[in-house]
Amino acid sequence: MRLSFYPGCSLEGMANDYARSIDAVFKDLGIELVEIEDWSCCGATAAHSLNQAMSVVLPARNLAAAEKMELDIVSPCAMCFNRLRFSQNMIKKKVFDIPWPVTGDIRIHDMTRFLAEPPMIKSIKERILKPLNGLRVVCYYGCQMVRPPKITGYTDYENPQTIDRIVAAAGAKVIDWSYKATCCGASIGIARREIGESLTKRILQKARQAGAEAIVVSCPLCQSNLDMIQKDRSDRPIPVFYFAELLRLSFEEHANPKWFKMHFTDPVPLLKAKRLL
Amino acid sequence: MQTSNIFLNRMGLLLYFRVLPRINFNGEMMQNIISGLDQSHEHDSGKERKLIGDRGYYFLNRMQGETGVDISACYQCERCTNACPVSHFMDIKPHQAIRYVQLGWREDLLKSSTIWICLSCEMCSTYCPNDVDVAEIINHLRNMAAYSSITPKEKSLAVFHQTFLEVLQKSGRVNEFRLMNAYYSKPDILKERVKQGILIEDLLLGMTLLRKGRLKLFTPRSRAIKEIKKIYSQTRGEIA
Repeated sequence: MRLSFYPGCSLEGMANDYARSIDAVFKDLGIELVEIEDWSCCGATAAHSLNQAMSVVLPARNLAAAEKMELDIVSPCAMCFNRLRFSQNMIKKKVFDIPWPVTGDIRIHDMTRFLAEPPMIKSIKERILKPLNGLRVVCYYGCQMVRPPKITGYTDYENPQTIDRIVAAAGAKVIDWSYKATCCGASIGIARREIGESLTKRILQKARQAGAEAIVVSCPLCQSNLDMIQKDRSDRPIPVFYFAELLRLSFEEHANPKWFKMHFTDPVPLLKAKRLL
Repeated sequence: MQTSNIFLNRMGLLLYFRVLPRINFNGEMMQNIISGLDQSHEHDSGKERKLIGDRGYYFLNRMQGETGVDISACYQCERCTNACPVSHFMDIKPHQAIRYVQLGWREDLLKSSTIWICLSCEMCSTYCPNDVDVAEIINHLRNMAAYSSITPKEKSLAVFHQTFLEVLQKSGRVNEFRLMNAYYSKPDILKERVKQGILIEDLLLGMTLLRKGRLKLFTPRSRAIKEIKKIYSQTRGEIA
């Protein structure tokens, strides 16, 4: 199976560990990810806030490149996925002139949803060498992956299940909680710190109350927000994993995860206590 | 004489707000009534009543046309405001913003902090019972504010978006290291950070990120930089 892969800007820098884990996991699953050639930024929040045309044209360029390759796109970043889907909608409406030949007929997958399909879950289960027994986690989806449902295509946007299913397949115990799709503040914490902190702290507090030992996310910005807020170590530390990291951990018999040093909240003590390292 | 004038005014208000709306007019009649309201009346509380915007109906129509959202369908159930995670930081709450659009109070909206604080998390749009896409309306207002000469109330947030696009159009991809550099180099932002005393903390955080290998210093330049620059320059909004 071959898919075109649109990593997005974060996976080159802040979410470097996520990118490497994805590479390893997909190699293990036998799916070839072909990075879209010369991809460019999707514009994120800034483009649709200030310049509607840019928010359609920028993702359209990546769609055009993927169409040339004739491969469906899979996107690991929630924001990129949302913007690609949005742009696809707008291309079909033909509102803006797009300088590249693009039809918008290609399929855009969100990575977690792609992996949560029953056949993929089956092949994940087959490849697990070291199940994550005893690890109690909550899954956090954020906004852009599930909302607005009209664009993302999620029907269970209030209680999404994709990461839950993947992590459960890897053997972890998934705890239900109500803050799965509550906003973490995204980039607002950079300019208005108190707003960002009020949102992330509430999510962490609710995760602790639910009895979770770790949070599993799929969005690079959610990960850095939830992880970096804990640098003051005022409360019980609660590591924030990407789902790909946990999959990679369970796929390898003797994992030596050097990439964990990129986390602010060190997950190694927790994993050692659970005998997973 | 004065008292009878006030009495007549009160009766007029009663007629406008209680009696007339219940009678079914066609669209044209309704439009006349709305523009007819554009005369100074005294509010019941004694304060000066805020008038419907000059071109109130025009503004509502324009917003509806440009966003494709049926804004008139809002019946102020406040579900959007209750769903919003940051509504307590806003000066005009989301449901009020919709009402302001209906009343044509364009300047108040563009001057508000609401449009910049909004996270585009789409909670409001998802939970609206009447399918009013509140997030899209606020996003559209943000676009309008960027094109207008009004100084944004939340300047630091507006400048962040602006900086993001500036960095984007230079290489086609956004590099966090360059973005933060460019953002802190803005004189207003730097001044504000120094005043709040968090500049050192931010620099230390940057160092930690660098040490942890989470920052990449160089980004390859996209081949389509010319096209990206062209769209950027054609439709750029200025943060006044």
